[in-house]
Amino acid sequence: MTHFSRAKVFMYGFVSLWSLFVMLPLLWMVLASFKTKRELFMDPLGLPGKWTFGAFERAWGVGMGGFLLNSAIVTAASVALIVVVSGMAAYVLARSDSRWLRLIYLLIVAGFAVPVQAVLVPLYQMISAAGMLNSLGAIVLPYAAYGVPFTTVLFYAFFLDFPRELEEAARLDGCSRIRTFFSVILPLSGPAVASAAIFQAVFIWNEFVLALLMLNNPSTKTLPVGIIALGGEFTSDWPAIMAGLCIAILPILLIFVLAQKYFVRSLAGLGK
Amino acid sequence: MKGYSTKGRTGPLTRHVIGAAFGLAVALGVGIPQVANAQEDVTIRMWALTNPNYPEFIAQAAEAFKTTHPNVTIDFQETPNEAYKTAIQVALVGSDPPDVFFNWAGEDSVRLVRDGLVLDISDLAKKPGQFGTALAQSWLDTFSVDGRIYGAPTDAVTKYFYYDNAFFTENKLSVPKTFNELLGLCTAIRAIDPDIVPIPLGNSERWKMNHYITILNERVMGNDVLRADYSLKAPDDQLFTNAGYVAAWGKVLELQKAGCFQDAPNATSPEVSRTMFSSQISPMIFCGSWCMSIFDGEGYTDYSLFRFPPVDGGASDGDSNMVVPQGLQVAAATKHPTEAVEWISFLTSPEQSAKFAEMRGALPSDPSMLSGLQNATAQFKWVAADMASLAVQYNVIDVEVEASVANAYLDAGVEILNGTMTPEQAMASIRTAALAAKAKMK
Amino acid sequence: MPDATVTPAPAITKPAKISVNRPQYSARLSAAILLAPALGLCAVFIFIPAILAIAGSFFTFGITSRAWEPAGVSNYARILADPIFWTALRNNLIIVVGSVVFQVGIGTILAAILDRGLPRASTVFRTIIFAPMVVSAVAVALIWQVILDPNVGALNAIIKSVGLTPPQLGWLGDPTISIWVVLMIACWQYTGFMMVLILAGLQGIPKELYEAASLDGARGLKAFRHITLPSIRNVLIVAMLITTIGGFKVFDLIYATTQGGPANATQVLGTYIYLQAFNLGNMGYANAISVVLLTIAVMLGWLQLKSSRRA
Repeated sequence: MTHFSRAKVFMYGFVSLWSLFVMLPLLWMVLASFKTKRELFMDPLGLPGKWTFGAFERAWGVGMGGFLLNSAIVTAASVALIVVVSGMAAYVLARSDSRWLRLIYLLIVAGFAVPVQAVLVPLYQMISAAGMLNSLGAIVLPYAAYGVPFTTVLFYAFFLDFPRELEEAARLDGCSRIRTFFSVILPLSGPAVASAAIFQAVFIWNEFVLALLMLNNPSTKTLPVGIIALGGEFTSDWPAIMAGLCIAILPILLIFVLAQKYFVRSLAGLGK
Repeated sequence: MKGYSTKGRTGPLTRHVIGAAFGLAVALGVGIPQVANAQEDVTIRMWALTNPNYPEFIAQAAEAFKTTHPNVTIDFQETPNEAYKTAIQVALVGSDPPDVFFNWAGEDSVRLVRDGLVLDISDLAKKPGQFGTALAQSWLDTFSVDGRIYGAPTDAVTKYFYYDNAFFTENKLSVPKTFNELLGLCTAIRAIDPDIVPIPLGNSERWKMNHYITILNERVMGNDVLRADYSLKAPDDQLFTNAGYVAAWGKVLELQKAGCFQDAPNATSPEVSRTMFSSQISPMIFCGSWCMSIFDGEGYTDYSLFRFPPVDGGASDGDSNMVVPQGLQVAAATKHPTEAVEWISFLTSPEQSAKFAEMRGALPSDPSMLSGLQNATAQFKWVAADMASLAVQYNVIDVEVEASVANAYLDAGVEILNGTMTPEQAMASIRTAALAAKAKMK
Repeated sequence: MPDATVTPAPAITKPAKISVNRPQYSARLSAAILLAPALGLCAVFIFIPAILAIAGSFFTFGITSRAWEPAGVSNYARILADPIFWTALRNNLIIVVGSVVFQVGIGTILAAILDRGLPRASTVFRTIIFAPMVVSAVAVALIWQVILDPNVGALNAIIKSVGLTPPQLGWLGDPTISIWVVLMIACWQYTGFMMVLILAGLQGIPKELYEAASLDGARGLKAFRHITLPSIRNVLIVAMLITTIGGFKVFDLIYATTQGGPANATQVLGTYIYLQAFNLGNMGYANAISVVLLTIAVMLGWLQLKSSRRA
């Protein structure tokens, strides 16, 4: 064996081992949703005796469809808001040397560090005082707010490298700054938008604490809260719980698989 | 009040910004909170703990309620255990709390009363036909503070040992009459097969051991001794110093030593321990009265029950049990107090109580129609009769004592089972918490 | 502002590179319009609640109590004497250090292998390894709880089948190992994220650099040390800071797997704040702990800003 191929064996080995470690629990989850509870208990490593979708039907019956739809609406609305709002702010900040604006940038970055659970109660009281509980619209706003700092940093780095000639041209044509942003900058920021969107989508799709407190009406629950409800509903029907998890995980996993090439490329800006 | 005035100042800004995006929400057609049409239609919002068949029970009750209250709609939401405890507190201090909500009787509900979040419904409840005139006084007392009524008790839950009939018959095992016989039972089951866990204990959420120690404290010391300590009214130098507390924890260690539990109770969830029993992996379990409906729902019905046996040489003769009353309270902020009370009165009426018992397997506060139940299981009838025969009832420690003392008790249970604390150390830490809590109350 | 690299500009000057034939107020106005939504959102949902939390840390009150009693700095004094606070902080540090070492470390190795070693298989592995990242922490906890269960779990079945003995008190029940098990779950979930982040950085390295080095005899590990690592220095810093801040903010995963147990062995600041606020009703004290967490996290955020500026 040459040095080169031995290295290759090691590399394949390492990557495969980690992939296996990552895959097994997920694979186990899928298998578990086809097993009966008794099979799951008596033979945790075995294959299901009969491949039936009973557990999926039970999980779907709890309203997973509705939870999925709610999560999709909340995620899409929040991500759209985050991208536009952060993009606008980052554009101004990246194109300015003003001391005040640098202070504002710092302030926004500090916001990234604020943990939600540290401000849960005042946050809840404000939202409840505004009469916004149990509306999907209400949760979009705090989600957007908590996505803004990180996304602003991301866009900021991207805009620093953005060729300025294009904006200059737009300016000379008499475009206002705002119009320049929407008609020139944003359309050309595909990679940054993509990575920001995926980041925030993953975070919002999975957010639990705020959703738990603010959306307690069954018709407005999002997936993570729905998953908890699943645990309460079935107490020990693990096959149904695992089937519910499969239903919850698959859509976003699919989106990642489809968008991942774009995603990795767009993340390159983050290190700048 | 300080924090609230600060919040008030930020309110308009919040509303302004939210208003802007609210327009977006409207444009997207997403859920807008319904505004109740004050005079004619009334919506009573009700929150409760997630329990099997409870939504179905509420749905039929809401339908039946329509015949006398055609203008009242019930908007019911359920939340699982741990999440419910947080959500209800937060909701009650918010602007839009539910009108009617589930709560356990005890320290939790008293605290909400103290904080002015629960409506005093004495006058409404005492009106003719309302629950205040129908339920037994001992039941009404469970949600009363200083003689005023702050809620309607709906039912009570309690704990029993469940056992597998077939396993006991096959191995000629009998129901233990004393604590020592219970230990002997564990030894006997381990002798049959050392891999069988006699009484699986799922203590990952801490409350299972709390039920054991609640009952063991009473079995060792008797109920009366405990009251002064639980209410933190005992003098500082005596608070939680009774030697019986250490002895009660010692009984837990005896159970563990006799091989009753599995190796890792603190890593086992209540659900797993229940399933070990209902899948007949284990022949016994110490489970709530609510477990009957869970086992029945899973299709396992070949079980019987017995009460926690008296401790040899203990102060209690065993004619007593832990009974946790639970019920429905009305939020102080409700706009429809009359309808809310009429609704909870309806839910605790004899007919609905019987339905409640039938659908949920619950032991309702109005037992007058229980004997006529058609579909009640033998086990349910046994439990109902046994509960009615109890000489002494007491609440579970963690709703009985102040929150930080409860937390110390819950943690102590985990540490005792893990062997990281001795009974003496456990009581020292509980006493420290109790002294601190008592000092704060002054 | 402590950053010395900034060239000071008079506050009133319009930003550079802006059209010459427009009046200044218009540029300032449009800047304000572009900034306002972001600032508004942050102010309402982050800064004001944070200020309320800071204010609340000087009072004693419960979540449901309307009376705020002034408490001076007693809540902060209590922190110093509270052993569980220090356990929680220690656990945060374990998760931070462990995450940086394992998530960023293994992430770097995986990324380097996929980028240079196995570019053709890269897409498949990348997808698999990143997958757990999109699973909600609540779901992750549910899956692992059943796998790690001491009675019926798959892991114990595997360990027993090869003749070994699993920990007697259970993976999540033994106070000496439970925090490490939680760390393992965190690594399972987030290493793929770090890998993808670093992979993106690696793909920005010009191929010519490697070719040149190869001519000089630097290949394999040598090239990794002398070319790869220096080129992705900034990405690594960002990765470490994201991991560090994440390690201090961790909440969902622990709340859903152990709720801080057994007996506080896996308590972190996030879950301890929640316990004090919602289970024990000590809002003031919970706020004081929040302020400590906030301070740590803001300092780290500032570090991140500084390091990304220097680049």
